[in-house]
Amino acid sequence: MGARRTLLLTAIGVFAAGLAVSVAVTDSHYMLLSLVLAAAAMAPLFIRFERRSVEARELVLLAVLAAIAAVGRVPFAPLPSVQPVTFVVIVSGCVFGAEAGFLIGSVAALVSNLFLGQGPWTSWQMFAWGMAGATAGWWRHTWWMNRRAGLLLFGFVWGFLFGWILNIWYLIQLPEAWSLPLITAAYIQSLPFDLAHALSNVFFLAVFGRSWMSVLTRFRRKYGLLTEPGGGPGPGAPIR
Amino acid sequence: MMRGGFASLHPSVSFAYYAGVLLLCMLLLHPVLLAVASVLLAVLLALLGGWRRLARQLPGMLAVPLAVTLMNPLFSHRGRHILFYLFDQPITLEAILYGATMGLSLLAILLAFASYQQVVTTDRFLYLFGAAAPRLALLTLMTVRFVPLFRRRLHEITAVQKQKGISVSEGVLRKRMKDGMLLLRVLLTWSLEEALQTADSMKARGYGSSRRSSYTIYRMDGRDRLILTLLAGLAAATGICRAMGLGVLTVYPRLEPITLSVADGACLGAFTCFLIIPIILEGGDKLAWQFSPPTM
Repeated sequence: MGARRTLLLTAIGVFAAGLAVSVAVTDSHYMLLSLVLAAAAMAPLFIRFERRSVEARELVLLAVLAAIAAVGRVPFAPLPSVQPVTFVVIVSGCVFGAEAGFLIGSVAALVSNLFLGQGPWTSWQMFAWGMAGATAGWWRHTWWMNRRAGLLLFGFVWGFLFGWILNIWYLIQLPEAWSLPLITAAYIQSLPFDLAHALSNVFFLAVFGRSWMSVLTRFRRKYGLLTEPGGGPGPGAPIR
Repeated sequence: MMRGGFASLHPSVSFAYYAGVLLLCMLLLHPVLLAVASVLLAVLLALLGGWRRLARQLPGMLAVPLAVTLMNPLFSHRGRHILFYLFDQPITLEAILYGATMGLSLLAILLAFASYQQVVTTDRFLYLFGAAAPRLALLTLMTVRFVPLFRRRLHEITAVQKQKGISVSEGVLRKRMKDGMLLLRVLLTWSLEEALQTADSMKARGYGSSRRSSYTIYRMDGRDRLILTLLAGLAAATGICRAMGLGVLTVYPRLEPITLSVADGACLGAFTCFLIIPIILEGGDKLAWQFSPPTM
């Protein structure tokens, strides 16, 4: 079963990749290639999650956080381009580590688009939010992430990075027009949205970063969830 | 819910249809073919979700394809047929046609995604891919299940907190953002505490002790096999035409006439037959409902 499954998945992957490359080279249509590359970029972390043993409690915790991030888009709907997904993903990455941050970010993107509309942008959002969570987890022990200013700067930068990554999904549709003026125009047009996203991340992290992290850390301690093999006390927040 | 028509087929058949649509709409870069595809996919979407819903969805879906169509001639000036000058920049027929092709390709893809969402629902998708990535499938399905539950809880929390003046809909921006996050934090503590009980009961019922079973079981019947064969044959025919260089408009280096040759027509015919199968199934089902005599 396992070997056959791997073989079949590999065959499908190779076929899609080959087709994507040939379409990109002969017709300069890059959408398929971009989807394949996004899938390839996310595959290692997904495969790792599939292969290691996961407790039911960990699975439920990840699902709750991903669902909170997805539902969080609802109460903020009256405020344009203010959404708490990035905040929830960064905070979760900081407390539960890179893998959890990545999974929460990518699943939240996939699921919230079930309600807001799927499209070619879904894979880019999965990748961008997943990476926001993963980087938060990778760098959570560095000295600057444990400083208030460092965390706020991290959220600010991801606000822009998210928008910049998302702009690619439609720019690849214009291969004939690729030029500095086009890219400048596209990025200037998205600037207000990216700035709003970055500033709302900073605001959320400044006002709620500590309290959310302490809530999550308390749960991690209380139920022994997703603790590191070393067993050391995690980052940041004081335990209440 | 029992449904006839296209959505009642085996998930693998409908998934294969959408995979084929996605691929062919990226490969057949000819404005005429893609316009036909867009119209047919819009009709399918309307049959699935109603014309009114289509009319509501369409403006949002047109925005990006339209932007792509307009931006290409503004930023690309390749081509020999200069139509006019805009701000001293030549606008060429080639760039307009190329932009329109890319825009239509995108529009068809967006329309396909919209109807895909109504046919291949999450549980069907996970039925297909649950075997490949069972844990990821379970995680996604649990998240999907939490969303409506959390929305209900959020309504409750909002109603309670409103009595204390905590609300996202009134006050200055700073207060509204703060209140929104406060509501979410209440939701977080409430749901986490409760969800861990769910996890314990999952464990008590043997989560992880054997392969997970599926809630709904789909079986391939004769009709599914027939339609899958038809779809595969027509997609292959279109693909072969495409490999022979048909069904694509050469814009560069030299623009060919936009009218379809007889051979291009064959390619369009196969492509149309491929696209129209779900419309026939869905439309036929609607007609059967409308005109079958009441025999109760």
